[in-house]
Amino acid sequence: MSFGAGFLRHPDLFPARRAGEPWGDRAVALDVAGGPYLLSGLAATQEEALRRRFGPLCGTAEAGGTATRVFRAPAADFLPIDTRGWEYTLDLDPAPDALRVAGLRLMARLDWTPALAGALWTPETAGEEWASVCENYLRLLTAHRLLEEGGALLHSAGVSDGESAWLLLGPSGAGKTTASRLCLAGGGTVLSDDLNAVLFGEGGARLRKLPFTGDLGERAGGGPRSVPLRAVLRLAQGEEEGLRPLSPAAALASLVAAAPFVNRDPFRREALLAVLERLARAVPAWEVTFSREGRLWAILQSIPP
Amino acid sequence: MIAITPATVLQRRSDVRYRRIEGEAVVLRQSAAEVLVLNEVGASVLELADGELSVGEWIDALAGEYDGDSASLARDVLAFAAELAEAGLLEPVAGGPEP
Repeated sequence: MSFGAGFLRHPDLFPARRAGEPWGDRAVALDVAGGPYLLSGLAATQEEALRRRFGPLCGTAEAGGTATRVFRAPAADFLPIDTRGWEYTLDLDPAPDALRVAGLRLMARLDWTPALAGALWTPETAGEEWASVCENYLRLLTAHRLLEEGGALLHSAGVSDGESAWLLLGPSGAGKTTASRLCLAGGGTVLSDDLNAVLFGEGGARLRKLPFTGDLGERAGGGPRSVPLRAVLRLAQGEEEGLRPLSPAAALASLVAAAPFVNRDPFRREALLAVLERLARAVPAWEVTFSREGRLWAILQSIPP
Repeated sequence: MIAITPATVLQRRSDVRYRRIEGEAVVLRQSAAEVLVLNEVGASVLELADGELSVGEWIDALAGEYDGDSASLARDVLAFAAELAEAGLLEPVAGGPEP
């Protein structure tokens, strides 16, 4: 299927540049890893919805940041999609200096000339529908910004005891949410059970909290903002609980598979591989087998710092 | 399975990206979502597939690196090359002998 054909009535009319009719003159700067991210061209209702969803992460336009302009798009431009049982996806069309994006009630583009900037076209003006469109765009933008910062966005569960963090990897159904619940029950904190940011600082790799969560974790802040990463763990469910060391190559393979959007982008995959190789070499990796009623949290804490 | 002989010349497909890390290799194809991990011999084979050396020359090069009898090494390398070609990681060089 050609780009956009699953979402757009006229994919051939996809905007060729970041231009259009803004919804309004409001702006919000979001303090999220890799940011801030400045969203402008907002209607008052769109600004309110973002402040409701992201709370204290929302600042004023003066904070600046990676710029995105938000534009109007007629609802008739988008195909109706029955979302019952539908797994959310974005259609991506990467190019060396640009990325076109089509999704549920959104069109977007990122351009890297001269610096990373975005545009988002949507018919959604308010409420959860708009906030969801915006969050789905922000997930994509964050993945690319983190890569520019030498970091990565990872589909993962991030758990912490306040001093260290553990990154739990696995495909959908591997048990990230179950594992997060076990860690919560054991006294740990869940940074996010869906998407986490890894960045390198002076002390090495750190897990940075993101407001992109599944059932667990907090969107609007609270808990530690950034924690040193103690280990990367590939999840396996089973009755015989325990740890098995993973080779750096096996860890790298799991990390690449967990890096959404960018791992499908031929023009940015090389940079992603370099970042994740650094991570695989810097942080010990294990396969952890755990059971639904088991002692996962204790197993994680037994890993030496 | 593609038939590979010692005279076959193979090269990595242009969309293959890989990283060698502590002997093993992590391989990605840009046109596919999967990520593969190759063991040390597999990583060496991938590295040798430069479109110039024949598979027979790979076997000679690897014989100097790995212990064991040369017949089983040759068998393993031929099988591995065929598997990597089947997986879409390697392709015959245009104008070279057909696999």
